[in-house]
Amino acid sequence: MRLFLRNATLHLILALLTGLGLGLAYSWVISPVTYVDANPAILRADFKDQYRVVIAASYASTHDLARARARLELLSDTDPIGELSAQAQRMVGTGESFERVQPLAQLATDLQQGIVSVPVTSTPFASTPFIAVINTPTLETPFIEEATPTVTSEFTELTFAPTSSFEQTPLVPQTIFTPTLRPTLTSVPVQGKPFTLVGQDTVCDPGLQPGLLQFTLMDARRRQVSGIEIIVTWAEGEDHFFTGFKPELGNGYADFIMQADTIYSVRVVEGGAFVSNISAPSCTDSNGVDYTGGLLLTFQQP
Amino acid sequence: MTPSNWFKILIALIVGTVLGLIYGWIIEPVEYIDVTPNILREDYRADYVLMVAEAHQSEQDSETTARRLAIFGSESPEQIVASTLEFAIKNNFTQNEINLLQGLLTAMQTYQPQAINAP
Repeated sequence: MRLFLRNATLHLILALLTGLGLGLAYSWVISPVTYVDANPAILRADFKDQYRVVIAASYASTHDLARARARLELLSDTDPIGELSAQAQRMVGTGESFERVQPLAQLATDLQQGIVSVPVTSTPFASTPFIAVINTPTLETPFIEEATPTVTSEFTELTFAPTSSFEQTPLVPQTIFTPTLRPTLTSVPVQGKPFTLVGQDTVCDPGLQPGLLQFTLMDARRRQVSGIEIIVTWAEGEDHFFTGFKPELGNGYADFIMQADTIYSVRVVEGGAFVSNISAPSCTDSNGVDYTGGLLLTFQQP
Repeated sequence: MTPSNWFKILIALIVGTVLGLIYGWIIEPVEYIDVTPNILREDYRADYVLMVAEAHQSEQDSETTARRLAIFGSESPEQIVASTLEFAIKNNFTQNEINLLQGLLTAMQTYQPQAINAP
């Protein structure tokens, strides 16, 4: 009798476990929960990249920083600004055009600074009117970065060139009202004015990467300027990069790793400043050991 | 084994299956990561399309815009924008946002994908 009971209990437990296994197999493998209302945080990495590109492109059009920040938060990145910068660098690395990368870098910079800026435009409509009227009388160029310590309003009137492939009803000029708290003074880099070398300093810091060539580009008011292309050339090749892809180090910052015993030339594309015969300096640490140091080149607009 | 024992085993099997389904569907459902945008919730889809419309307003590049909308899969850009416009009107988007979507819809209705020249 005891044996029978034991067998019966065993049979029940086995049946229960089998049922449990069948239930799990059905719910996890055969017919798992289907998502229909997903949020952007669980998108695949490449779609998240695309999402960031669109957020940045939208921001470049509307200059609504708060909305761009809120949209980035949907992606649940631990460091949204770092992700934007990293993606911009990845895109540069894969040969994407500056026009596609620049909005990401600009958004990262603006989020870092907490202010809305109107970047140097290199859109296909560079020659069409892009009139930004901000409530100060200091407008000289289309590149305006405005900052006053009060809440201000910003009216931007846009007009567009018609496309060539079809006739389209012209869009009504949009008026964008963006009240923005602006904590610092105006930074107005003057597009086209040449950057000149104002400092060339040897950096002997064993903590830095050997041969680190650092750049800082500033406007006439000594505020750092992002989005400026720099070309470094040497006997075997050349490299192009832009300031502002590492906003944590400064909006006008860029860097490059030099090899020891190689002579480089540096050209700032904006304005054409040219510096030749650049090479990694030799430094000596506290123990008398030589190591390859770095250089800091500082450029400024007059 | 008696019929009553068979009956008990069957009941245990059913109970086990139900417990397994409850666990697999409710308590610890399959967690999705790396999903595609076509299953985004409708308001997120609408916001994405609105961003594309905002970008299109200044870029006026229908090719890039259509590529950005193609993220949603097999639907045509025109269908995607039309359904978003409908959602926007139902959900009281601002007039400016609706205008942007209408502008984008017009652009996508007239958009012709660039043909590849045959050799």
